[in-house]
Amino acid sequence: MENPTRLTKNKWLFRGNSELKVEPETTIRGALTLLMSNLNVSDDRPVIPMSVSEPSAFPCFGTAQVAADAIAEAVRSTEFNGYPPTEGILPARRAVAEYLSEYLPYKLSPDDVFMTLGCHQAAQTILHVLGGSKSNILIPRPCFPYVDVFAQKANLEVRFFNLLPEKNWEVDLDSVIAVADENTVAMFIINPGNPCGNVFTYNHLKKVAETARKLGILVISDEVYGHIVFGENPFVPMGVFASITPIVTLGSISKRWMVPGWRIGWLVAHDPDGILKEHGIITSIKQYFNLSSYPPAFIQGALPHILAETKDDFFSKTLDIIKESAISCYEGIQDVPGLSCPTRPQGSMCVMVELDISVFEDIKDDLDFCLKLAKEESVIILPGVSVGLRNWLRVTFAIDPSHLQDGIKRLKSFCERHSKIA
Amino acid sequence: MGKQEWGFEENHEVHAAAAFSIRNILESIMGNIDEKRSGKPMIHLGHGDPSVYPCFRTHISVEDALVESVRSANFNCYPAGVGIDPARSAIAEHLSKDLPYKIETDDVFLTAGGNHAIEILLTVLARPDANILFPRPNYPVYEARARFSPLEVRHFDLLPENGVKTLADRKTVAIVVINPRNPCGNVYTFDHLKKIAETARELGILVISDEVYAHQVFGDKPFIPMGVFGDIAPVLTLGSLSKRWIVPGWRFGWIAITDPTSILQETGVAGSLKSCLTISADPATVIQGAIPSVIKNTPKSFFLNINKLLKEVADLFFEKIKEVPLVTCPHKSEGSMFSMVMLNIPAFKDIADDTDFCMKLAKEECMILFPGSAVGLKNWVRVSFATEPKVLEEAIERMKTFCLKHAKY
Repeated sequence: MENPTRLTKNKWLFRGNSELKVEPETTIRGALTLLMSNLNVSDDRPVIPMSVSEPSAFPCFGTAQVAADAIAEAVRSTEFNGYPPTEGILPARRAVAEYLSEYLPYKLSPDDVFMTLGCHQAAQTILHVLGGSKSNILIPRPCFPYVDVFAQKANLEVRFFNLLPEKNWEVDLDSVIAVADENTVAMFIINPGNPCGNVFTYNHLKKVAETARKLGILVISDEVYGHIVFGENPFVPMGVFASITPIVTLGSISKRWMVPGWRIGWLVAHDPDGILKEHGIITSIKQYFNLSSYPPAFIQGALPHILAETKDDFFSKTLDIIKESAISCYEGIQDVPGLSCPTRPQGSMCVMVELDISVFEDIKDDLDFCLKLAKEESVIILPGVSVGLRNWLRVTFAIDPSHLQDGIKRLKSFCERHSKIA
Repeated sequence: MGKQEWGFEENHEVHAAAAFSIRNILESIMGNIDEKRSGKPMIHLGHGDPSVYPCFRTHISVEDALVESVRSANFNCYPAGVGIDPARSAIAEHLSKDLPYKIETDDVFLTAGGNHAIEILLTVLARPDANILFPRPNYPVYEARARFSPLEVRHFDLLPENGVKTLADRKTVAIVVINPRNPCGNVYTFDHLKKIAETARELGILVISDEVYAHQVFGDKPFIPMGVFGDIAPVLTLGSLSKRWIVPGWRFGWIAITDPTSILQETGVAGSLKSCLTISADPATVIQGAIPSVIKNTPKSFFLNINKLLKEVADLFFEKIKEVPLVTCPHKSEGSMFSMVMLNIPAFKDIADDTDFCMKLAKEECMILFPGSAVGLKNWVRVSFATEPKVLEEAIERMKTFCLKHAKY
């Protein structure tokens, strides 16, 4: 074949999309890549990942056998190789409706449930549906970073409200009211909290709903860590307050069943008064699914069995390990110079830890701390800048308990080594 | 208490784009189906999904690979945005077999199906004022996603070639080629594909080659991947498991950079693909984990058998459709799962157009065809012949009944 002369770049009319570029430390994946590339390859010790809520990598956090069996059976049935309906197959939607209704004062209909590729796509969907010219959305600070990124991609202006560390990371409702205006469409919360590890009380969630109603906005509640609670506060689904203001909840089996790689979640509309329906939001959600991808049919096919047949002892066994790790992490950090944890973690798989930079000789900020920690101790912790709070750290404790202990030891050694001599 | 004012409302942009989507169109036709009332089982020839028919069942090794992946518990974790390396490598090797150069692991990006790959590509290429060249007729998902991107869409008819050059301008970024072709069922020759590459080069644009039906050819022409001409103009190749392995429900596909002179790297397109995938939805890791085994262990005999079946039904359809009055199928399909059929609308007494034809056919004969206006050819219909021969024969009978009933004379 002839080999034509190579044209220079300038002759080609297409380019990459510069809007897609995000600063690496502002996404979890980006920050992780930065930190992992700083690891010292000649350090023989195992890398301790206290950076992502990914316990499935550890044998002690395996998924329930019944779940794996259900998937295998769905595959072998050959009933799920074809295109599913874009909003999800009815048995899956019904199963999720039943699963969630157990904790609500009303029954959800399968029509209120949409199956998604993980909680991730559920968030993308609702944000895209709400996006449009001039609209803005209220997001907590700190927050799991994907919300900010997705909102911007969905053409939504992002405005932040505060969470109060001194009050168990509750929403600063005054700051919500201060940033809202007539173009605000929704406020976003994560409960149990990521990155803070807090669990909102019934009364507080009720106040959040009432504030949203006053502002005429809906509440989007990311409940991917639903039921992963081990402190004083029980898990209260936001849908409980749907008669105060319309609620959309996002959830998945990723965390509770330790299977984020199965990529299955849901977007649920809690709309007993039909407000979301009346305003065309439900139709827009349905239409959006006609434009985008959806979870594999066989995983949807397995879901009814997974939700109905997983026994409580699987959940309590996993929760016990997470609780033990949470306590171990919190208590271990009390002894580490330069770090302080304002609130004991109560749920989810991570906790925010404050950095006192003045304690350290040669650490300029949280990103610097994390980069050096990776290099010197092969411990990966996420810098707070990734979740919107500079000079804090997000520490994930849902790892194998012995790895966690090792990680805390190395963290302590690092901090002692870098402390200014008193 | 006064009426509560709410700050949110429906999204018109989403609605406008979704109107083009296959699912939307099929849903409105399906709304007319009533098996009880018509007394017949539904025949769905509206989409390329023969997985319901036992003769089209995927190979046991494919199911085995997936079950093994689930049971290993090694793939329960989050995947990297671009996909896990073993799956990417397997696809890279698989595609390289048909190319005069090797593509690397890093040239392969995994997506949640072919449709998701389209979403990613159009997001990456969209720029203010940019336009993209689509074939007419086209696969509707391109139209839907382009309107959501937004990219200006310009349509070309594949012959004559000069038509493409007059459509393009300095804001054109790419041309889309679907080979084997959905919806027409044709397969492009080596020379034709080469001309397209040369035209793209002259215009300074890249080629998006949608090869979801790769190797599903059963006529005279062999399947030639567009990547063969990657050194003439850069090519982004789309593929998926859905059609060749008959598992559209798995939602697994890929975008491969078939660009031996690395133009896509230099112009930032490769980097943007990576960025876009970092924040976009992922195909399930358990499926990715099964890919090396799927690629390695699916026997050639399975693919040969599927193509044999497709040829049988394609030929059967082409012969049998001649018996149906008021419709013509001018070309026998030589690839993909589709054939286009022209409707002689003026000869019907009460059928307004192709959409009306499909809606009434669904209502009266419990049968689904896809209206041609949704692919850009008004008063044609797209038929998926990928079904059992018996079902196809029954479908033809129902079409005959319907056309006779609605004929003017």
